[in-house]
Amino acid sequence: MNSTPRLEAKGVTMRFGGLTALADIDLAVPAGQIVGLVGPNGAGKSTLFGVLSGLLKPTTGTVLMDGEDVTATSPQLRARRGLARTFQHPELFSSLTVREHLSLAYRVRHTKSRILSDLVTGRGLFPKKDAEEDARVDELLGELNLTSIQHSAVVGLPLGTSRLVEIGRALATDPKVMLMDEPSSGLDVSESDDLASTMRKVVAERGVSLLFVEHDVPMVLGLCDHVYVIDFGQKIAEGNPDEIRANAAVRAAYIGEESEEITINEDDAVLAATSGGDRS
Amino acid sequence: MLSYILAGLATGSIFAIAAGSLVITYVASGVFNLAFAAMAFTVARVYYQLHVESGWGIAPAAFVSLVVFAPLMGAVLYLVLFRFLQGRSTIIKLMATLGLSVALPPLVELVLGKLTANTAPGLAPVPLKVFRFAGATVNADQVAMYIGLLVVLVVGVGVLRFTDIGLKVRALVDSGALTSLSGTNPGRVSMGVWAVSTMLAGLTGILVAPTSGLSVAGMTPLMTTAFAAVVAARLKNLPVAMGVGLLIGLAGAVPQKWIDPNSSFSHYFLPCIPFIFMLAALVYFAVRGQTGDQATGGALDRAIAVEGGDSSVVPSAGLKIGRFPLPVVLSVVFVVVVGLLPQVFNTYWAGLTASGIVLAIVLLSYTLVTGEGGMLWLCQISFAGFGAILVAELATLRGWDPIVATLVGPLVAIPIGLLIGALTIRLGELYIALVTLTVALLAQTLVITQTRWYNFGSGTPVSRPSFALDNKAFIYLALAVFLAVALLVVNLRRSTAGLALGAVRWSENGARTIGLSVLQSKLLVSALAAYVATLGGAFIAMNNQTTLPDFFQPFTGLVWLAVLMTLGSRSVMAALVTGLLYYYMPALFQQYLPTSLGEVPIILFGLGAVALATHPEGAFSQIAGDMTKKRAKKATAKSPTPPPTPPASPTSTTSEPAVAGRHA
Repeated sequence: MNSTPRLEAKGVTMRFGGLTALADIDLAVPAGQIVGLVGPNGAGKSTLFGVLSGLLKPTTGTVLMDGEDVTATSPQLRARRGLARTFQHPELFSSLTVREHLSLAYRVRHTKSRILSDLVTGRGLFPKKDAEEDARVDELLGELNLTSIQHSAVVGLPLGTSRLVEIGRALATDPKVMLMDEPSSGLDVSESDDLASTMRKVVAERGVSLLFVEHDVPMVLGLCDHVYVIDFGQKIAEGNPDEIRANAAVRAAYIGEESEEITINEDDAVLAATSGGDRS
Repeated sequence: MLSYILAGLATGSIFAIAAGSLVITYVASGVFNLAFAAMAFTVARVYYQLHVESGWGIAPAAFVSLVVFAPLMGAVLYLVLFRFLQGRSTIIKLMATLGLSVALPPLVELVLGKLTANTAPGLAPVPLKVFRFAGATVNADQVAMYIGLLVVLVVGVGVLRFTDIGLKVRALVDSGALTSLSGTNPGRVSMGVWAVSTMLAGLTGILVAPTSGLSVAGMTPLMTTAFAAVVAARLKNLPVAMGVGLLIGLAGAVPQKWIDPNSSFSHYFLPCIPFIFMLAALVYFAVRGQTGDQATGGALDRAIAVEGGDSSVVPSAGLKIGRFPLPVVLSVVFVVVVGLLPQVFNTYWAGLTASGIVLAIVLLSYTLVTGEGGMLWLCQISFAGFGAILVAELATLRGWDPIVATLVGPLVAIPIGLLIGALTIRLGELYIALVTLTVALLAQTLVITQTRWYNFGSGTPVSRPSFALDNKAFIYLALAVFLAVALLVVNLRRSTAGLALGAVRWSENGARTIGLSVLQSKLLVSALAAYVATLGGAFIAMNNQTTLPDFFQPFTGLVWLAVLMTLGSRSVMAALVTGLLYYYMPALFQQYLPTSLGEVPIILFGLGAVALATHPEGAFSQIAGDMTKKRAKKATAKSPTPPPTPPASPTSTTSEPAVAGRHA
């Protein structure tokens, strides 16, 4: 097995004026693993996602993909190297239908020349089927339960459904590593369970590595191979789910004090209850 | 030297007041007021009416026009227009104010009468007194300009810093939502801001009228010069905007100590000064990574803002006749009807039809760049003017076949379109509009009215192709070209490139993270739009059989765009209807209604764009939306089960309609 992580952050620091949003963060997403990133609101999780996906340039530090430094590359180049992401607030294309989101993402990855060639071949006026594209898009729509609304525009879709469209769009690029920002937010329990099994499936069957930010702590601890915890822009803990459950610094970050008496399951509940709220 | 500095400070004072007014309304309401020149003209015209035509003294005329009429106009405009722009997209905000700039001047002329000459007095008594100061001379009008700026600065700073009203305005600038939560009505504060900014617009109009003339055309350069200062201030920084306004005034006056103002160098250099400032500021921001539209308001305002309000998300009726969608069938029928018009019309109406169709070709460039690309380019008319001189140069002066010159010549516009695109795309929607309008004014002065093709305004003759010499044949040629370009646009929209454009338009971050290049996608549409506008301009010249350089005034382009946006910026058929309406409506008024109502069509065109504030989707899409609603109502009445599409919840991403339209 290749030991080089698919995605890696080394000593990433991000400052906005006088505010240090991230301080010397190290993080690695190995191949075929699910990695969780948790922390209270304002901890710097989304900023780190911005740095990893190329939307933000770090003040210092490097970002590597398969061991190669991509810190200076654009988000689109990272996408072409196999990095996909979703957003905390879904970034959808309002004039496109659900299916078009997935089709476009598929084409950008696999048949990018169509952006120009369609203009010459008149494929907009006289559409021609692409069996591979159709099969892949149909498969993703089915996996994410989006088939019934595939021809609806994304405007007006409930938040949870919008998230699924974003996930489908990201998967349509056939990524090697995928960053998911609060993917279960807005989904009900059954939808969250479906999403979790989809995530396991893409990792198992396609070898995709996942890094995800999530407030649903039981989901994170139940799904992840490795978890990073950040607070006030600093990494305060990392380890497997059991190590994170037992970590005193994590408890302090979430509930403001160390509490040895809390049982494991209660820990998850407390972490889940406090992670979306204010610091206290 | 001092004389030049004082003269520069005088004109700079006007630019500073104008820039200040634009910044204040932008930061307080999020609306960049493209109707500034029209509002300045309106108040100045009222002052002229009172002072010159009714014989009032300067003080009472100035008091009534500036302290009574202007604030009232600002408040009324806020109530009927500006308040509806909250939450709208930048393009809709700009278009609504553009519509106002189109409708307001002819409306004023309809009420107060058209002036035969545009010379007008300012706030100083005529004949003007001349004052001597350290060997330099200034006239009373210039002194009025200094005093105007001083009063604005003292009163403005005093009110903003030290009064309760100023505190509320500053709170509104920071966050309308939080201002509202603290018990202040942000609507009233906004109305007050618009009242004051209209007063400032009026003041600049009255001050500039003696030198630039009492006309919108005279005041538009004032506005675009102020744009440069506003861009340098990144739209928000009031002291910088006013300071740069003063500097631009100085930069225009001081070099005249060494350069003959009547020389050809001055003719080319002086109009470029605001553009140089704008360009320098943009380069500076680009180097510092500070480009892109800046959000107004605070975090809460952005959190509760509703996405949408744009014509690119529109309902589709989904009705079909046989296998074909209703819009396609209607489009074919309409084109057939237009094709039959030359058979039934006399020479006059056939000529208007030809003019309408060639204009429609130019309008398709707006469909591309604004409708598909989401960029408000205000220089398309300059590309059209460039097309006219290009076909004159190639066909008339160099002996090319007219049809070859018309089709091949506009290829030259592609690199220009790419250059403008590359310079502006990263800037954000508002900057794109400001920069392209400035480019349009510059192109009109520096290129289109060049003596080589100007010929004292009559232009250079342009021949039609030998097979389309008469109007009837020319109409069919133009219609064929229109249809070819229309199919190109529809093909683009439905192709992967169209999807990519839709993606980058709605979410640049989303597009970039699936591997799309925002720049490349938009450059593609910029290049195509530049070619199409230039091609259309060449056809306009062939239709007129001369280049008619004065036809391609940037303000005329704003009227074209206003009508097109009213009908729908994404519909190719809206382009054809707009082109025909643009010529038929004035002709109908001219033929069948009193001459005094001659300006009514322009007013209606402008009001149509103003209506985008409440119906941003445009008329065509609105009709389609109404049909969808009726259809859904019928379906609901027939079926006891609810429709399958999940309803929008409070957490939905937008409140816009749920089905994306596919325009014909």
